[in-house]
Amino acid sequence: MIWEELKESLIFTALEAQSYEDVMKQVGEKLIQEGYCKDTYADALVLREKEYPTGIDVEGVGVAIPHTDISHVNHQGIAIAVLDQPVTFTQMGTDDEFVDVRVVFVLAVVEPNEHIDHLERILAIIQDKDVLNRLQNVLDAKQIIEIIKVKEDTL
Amino acid sequence: MKKKIIVACGGAVATSTIAANKVVELCKKNGIDVEICQIRISEIESNLPGTNLIVTTSKVKRDYGVPLVTGMPFISGIGVDKTEKAILDALKE
Repeated sequence: MIWEELKESLIFTALEAQSYEDVMKQVGEKLIQEGYCKDTYADALVLREKEYPTGIDVEGVGVAIPHTDISHVNHQGIAIAVLDQPVTFTQMGTDDEFVDVRVVFVLAVVEPNEHIDHLERILAIIQDKDVLNRLQNVLDAKQIIEIIKVKEDTL
Repeated sequence: MKKKIIVACGGAVATSTIAANKVVELCKKNGIDVEICQIRISEIESNLPGTNLIVTTSKVKRDYGVPLVTGMPFISGIGVDKTEKAILDALKE
């Protein structure tokens, strides 16, 4: 279960960020500090996002799942940032469609082929527009974990 | 006959893994024997021989002369039925 893996120290609520780069720097640094990722991770996230964007428009609600090459990661982890104000991401699979995002799942991915269930579970959570809406209105990390737990109980 | 499908994304990290898995499940369900080649976009060209279909989760502007379907719906969850149909249609030919 994803909710069991979530750590309150890796959840940001009402995060103030100017841009997606800013989100990645702040959240990426935390993943580095906590030992999940190597020093190169935050910069690698930004570079990869420029080339392969990760914004997703889920029926009018924006979400993004930045991640980068496994060489920058020590062990698997998920950080969640709910932003105070939306920032613009480019939509995945495009270079000219944009989406305003307030919920960002920053993924520290290792050996994706061995963790397909894990990735599919994350997608099942972010593909639910109601879950995204609920996450946007929360100011407490515990509540974020609870919302995700409730969603996973239905999967 | 075994069909060869290229599943490509930028870094072959998360999204192409998910898309590849969905394509395998779909083909299995429909009794289609497939070989999946999960690679980066930049590697498509050299892996083209014998390819029946390309599924990608990144933007591809080039025409490789092979049917190309976007696998984005597998990530966003929106329009999955249509995508599955496009994949099956492409493999019927």
